[in-house]
Amino acid sequence: MLVLTRRANQSIMIGSDVVVTVLEVRGDQVRIGIDAPRSVSVHREEVFRELEAANRAAASPEAGALEDLTALRPPPKRP
Amino acid sequence: MSANVAEELPELHFAGGLPGFPDVRRFVLVRLGDEHSPFSVLRSLDDGPDIAPAVEFVVTHPSLFFPDYEPEIDDDIAARLELKSADDALLLVIVTVADPVAASTANLLGPIVVNRHTRAAAQAVLGNSGYATREALVPHR
Repeated sequence: MLVLTRRANQSIMIGSDVVVTVLEVRGDQVRIGIDAPRSVSVHREEVFRELEAANRAAASPEAGALEDLTALRPPPKRP
Repeated sequence: MSANVAEELPELHFAGGLPGFPDVRRFVLVRLGDEHSPFSVLRSLDDGPDIAPAVEFVVTHPSLFFPDYEPEIDDDIAARLELKSADDALLLVIVTVADPVAASTANLLGPIVVNRHTRAAAQAVLGNSGYATREALVPHR
């Protein structure tokens, strides 16, 4: 891993169009600003990892389970 | 399963893939079960050495099971999918099928957003929304 030291308001460039800026350092929290093209998605890592795990768990359920699922209906609409 | 493939809807295109499945981009949406079934299957069309056999996800309309669900779709996704108004967007959620099926859950943290006109699609990531990846479809009694 590349390790760089930066102060508040200093930035790092990743490639030619992603700029990561340290906005504020307070105690054990760092506020970071990210400028990236729309084609680059930016996420908190733990949230993205959780979604990866959820997608893997949901992928390609067994055919038998699918058959049972078709009988499941939404609860009736509340008044 | 093959009986349900009869009614294929147009192809959906996930330009960025899905988290965990970055290389799977083209899907078809196929109804699962009879016309009263709230579920569909999102089935991948890309089959390469890394992703054979096809990947399938069960999806449903969140409004059926979660009438209060109102995710906020961020500007980046709206721009990427060229959504001009909320009416352009179709929202789906991925279901994790459990045994028994009544214990199945839906992923409300990462809804699938589709542009109804262009069929461009993406999985949103609702960080800080309070929604979870496993919300019970059938409320516990």
